[in-house]
Amino acid sequence: MDTSLFLVQLLNGVQYGLLLFLIASGLTLVFGVMGILNLAHGSMYMIGAYLAYYFTTLTGSFFLAFIISGSIALLIGIVIERFLIIHLYKRDHLDQVLLTVGLIFIFNSIQSFVWGNDPLGVEVPALLSGSIKLTDIIEYPIYRLFISALCIVVAVSMYLTINKTKLGMMIRAGESDRAMVENLGVDISKLFTIVFAIGVFLASLAGIVSAPIVSLVPGMGEHVLISCFVVVVIGGLGSIKGAFVAALIVGIVDTYSSVLLPQISSMSIYLLMALILLVKPQGLFKN
Amino acid sequence: MSNILEVHGLQTLYGASHILHGVSFDIKAGETVSIMGRNGMGKSTTLKSILGIAPPRSGSVIYKGEDITRLPTWKRMRQDIAYVPEGRGMFHNLTVKEHLLMAARKNSRGEANWTYDQVLEVFPRLIERLTNKGTQLSGGEQQMLAIGRALLTNPDLLILDEATEGLAPLIRKEIWQVIRKIKDSGVSTIIVDKNIKVLNELCEMHILIVKGKVVFNGDSETLNENKEFIEQSLAV
Ligand SMILES: Nc1ncnc2c1ncn2[C@@H]1O[C@H](COP(=O)(O)OP(=O)(O)O)[C@@H](O)[C@H]1O
Ligand SMILES: [Mg+2]
Repeated sequence: MDTSLFLVQLLNGVQYGLLLFLIASGLTLVFGVMGILNLAHGSMYMIGAYLAYYFTTLTGSFFLAFIISGSIALLIGIVIERFLIIHLYKRDHLDQVLLTVGLIFIFNSIQSFVWGNDPLGVEVPALLSGSIKLTDIIEYPIYRLFISALCIVVAVSMYLTINKTKLGMMIRAGESDRAMVENLGVDISKLFTIVFAIGVFLASLAGIVSAPIVSLVPGMGEHVLISCFVVVVIGGLGSIKGAFVAALIVGIVDTYSSVLLPQISSMSIYLLMALILLVKPQGLFKN
Repeated sequence: MSNILEVHGLQTLYGASHILHGVSFDIKAGETVSIMGRNGMGKSTTLKSILGIAPPRSGSVIYKGEDITRLPTWKRMRQDIAYVPEGRGMFHNLTVKEHLLMAARKNSRGEANWTYDQVLEVFPRLIERLTNKGTQLSGGEQQMLAIGRALLTNPDLLILDEATEGLAPLIRKEIWQVIRKIKDSGVSTIIVDKNIKVLNELCEMHILIVKGKVVFNGDSETLNENKEFIEQSLAV
């Protein structure tokens, strides 16, 4: 592999890693704060992508579709938490699995019913199409750089919200001792609704921005969910910092292995996970 | 003077075990009240029932003239009640500064009698610890932080459960001094503690709980008159 290919793959790996972080951060945030493992998290990625397709086709503008789909995702998050997840807080893990797997089936049926099973695609918006020259010989698609930039903006906003704002402090406090948070006069149920909606939004956002670079197919949610689990397990369940580091590692390893070792690329990230768990059974950043 | 709190006939159970057998008492606005009793007699459960943390099976809690028995805990707290629980309720992932910032709010009338700076003035020991995590503090510092955090919600009623338990004498003294300051600021306070001597001199009213029942409720003078009975009930 020559240097330019190496660099392009590195950019691809980082971009994929950042996108994985966007999804995994929602999963790990909801688990860390609320103790809910949302197996339908990948479905929200899928729904985001299909919504982006639907509204891009309808309005002719990807950016309009971006805003509408993002808002709908937030709404879906609020509704799911208020009407379904709310019943899980006092129940055991099996009930969580049953409900959230049920949601996967529901979202898959909706997808199949509304959009059919043929692969669909969204065009890269004109403003972000084309490539830019990074060096004399390397060109890179602008849209992929846009995805990376957007993911970084989201990651930084999340970092600032969680670490510097009162809301973030309350969310972290809820992670540590939710009864005490209530004792301080905080409506923990509202806090949970907000956190869950943010989680759903993050997964959908990843689906929306991915729509122009992936093909929309049934089952795309489950595929992403599994990669997400690898990220969250490597990073340490509940750790956002861990998810960030793990997502970049997974993104880069996955990308290089498919170029360098295509024979084993489909299992490379699981091998990686196994190796890391041997050394750090709790993941990299378990607190 | 009007009652800030009226507790009527609380019956509280944990599963099948019946802990409170009709606990009743009133607290006047501005009063400092002690709740005494041996370990396991139901003092903490009484506080938790008042706050809705251990909801009573029957009985009622009237706060500022309003029945709050069915309100969720956080809504009661929003009406300017603050609670410093046994065990202090530290957050392992928040710094000292964050403990104070996340809790700080004006009271329901929009007043802020306690500010971040004032709390640090009262507890100067916390100043050097601002960037430490809550659980990295010594017991005494944790207690100061728990009280400081409670004060930053600007309560009218402050409830302290075993605030001096397990602390070194010097630290205890500091805590008692602050509690006195809080009392002087006019905040109504319920104090669960074992130190009768201090309570006798600090509190206007005293409640003694034995096996989930109020067996004594009176002022310091009456307490002294019944000293023998009280001491007998507290002896291990
Ligand atoms: N969460 C609980 N579940 C079951 N029993 C409890 C619980 N909390 C306290 N108890 C029991 O209730 C009784 C009163 O406890 P508590 O109110 O904490 O006593 P005190 O504060 O006076 O020491 C004790 O016998 C204790 O074992
Ligand atoms: Mg107790």
